[in-house]
Amino acid sequence: MNASLRARPGMTRTSLTALVATLWLVGCASPANREAMVPTDVTAARPHPHSVSVLASGGTDTGALDSSNIADEDLKAAIEEAVTRNKVFTSVVQGKNGDYELSVRVTRLTKPLFGMTFTVEMEAAWSLTRVADRSVVLRKSINASGSAGAGDSLVGVKRLRLAVEAAARANIAEGLKAISALTL
Amino acid sequence: MKKALLLLLQLGVVASIATGCAVNRATAHVEPGTRLSEIKTVHVKKFASDNADTDRLIADKLRTKGVSATTGTAPANKVDAVVTYVEKWMWDITMYMLELTVVIRDPKDDYPLATGNSYHTSLTRKSPKEMVDEVIDNIYKEQGQ
Repeated sequence: MNASLRARPGMTRTSLTALVATLWLVGCASPANREAMVPTDVTAARPHPHSVSVLASGGTDTGALDSSNIADEDLKAAIEEAVTRNKVFTSVVQGKNGDYELSVRVTRLTKPLFGMTFTVEMEAAWSLTRVADRSVVLRKSINASGSAGAGDSLVGVKRLRLAVEAAARANIAEGLKAISALTL
Repeated sequence: MKKALLLLLQLGVVASIATGCAVNRATAHVEPGTRLSEIKTVHVKKFASDNADTDRLIADKLRTKGVSATTGTAPANKVDAVVTYVEKWMWDITMYMLELTVVIRDPKDDYPLATGNSYHTSLTRKSPKEMVDEVIDNIYKEQGQ
């Protein structure tokens, strides 16, 4: 091997450059972006005249060698933004001072390993509790999926992130529609 | 130069179809208010793409926890909980179970009462039985049982 490398140093340099360039181009996975998980097509009939606090759990941080995941704080921020933007409640508060407490727990995030079009399925347990008497007014398991194809990105790790974000967006939209339909 | 371009092309294809590297992970969660000790009868719903009779392995494991468990597509009798699972397989010389997610649900509305997930890549691969043992044990450990 050494003899052939010595004989063709240009080849070695070019190969290494190609390898480094590809690794740089691909990089490692990045977590789902909170802004990209916010749905905008939830049409609340009228805002519930109450305040709400949001708890998110079941998410996973994205490690350096991992594939895209949803972090709890990003899911929480996305839900809060979606509640505000779509006027589901009159206000979002932090801590336990709200009229209602919305808990969203990711129970399943099924991601493909290979492929051109990635479809991600996300299940989350949504529960809405009235703080005053701790009564549960909504308890629902919501399944939603999102896809991203080669037209969205040619890089696999990015395409997967887009699919994860699309699944989260669809799940949040379904959850907020269910809440909007309630009479509180 | 031609070989370098070929290498670049091959790496590009891999980068295009692969979703990233992987890590080992084992998590469990039990919903507040859920008492696993009160779940005495369960039905393990067979996953459509089950490759290893995982439903039977889960039922056997639950029986060691003192739970009466049935398997199949639908429960014959009323049960305290329904168990669903999703398994993901991978190939590396041989096939192995890469990921297993088990969810214990309220039979009334399918609401997840408890969830466990294990993810092990090739070098630390586990047999389907070991995966089931790890996931179920972690769920019960989560509630201190």
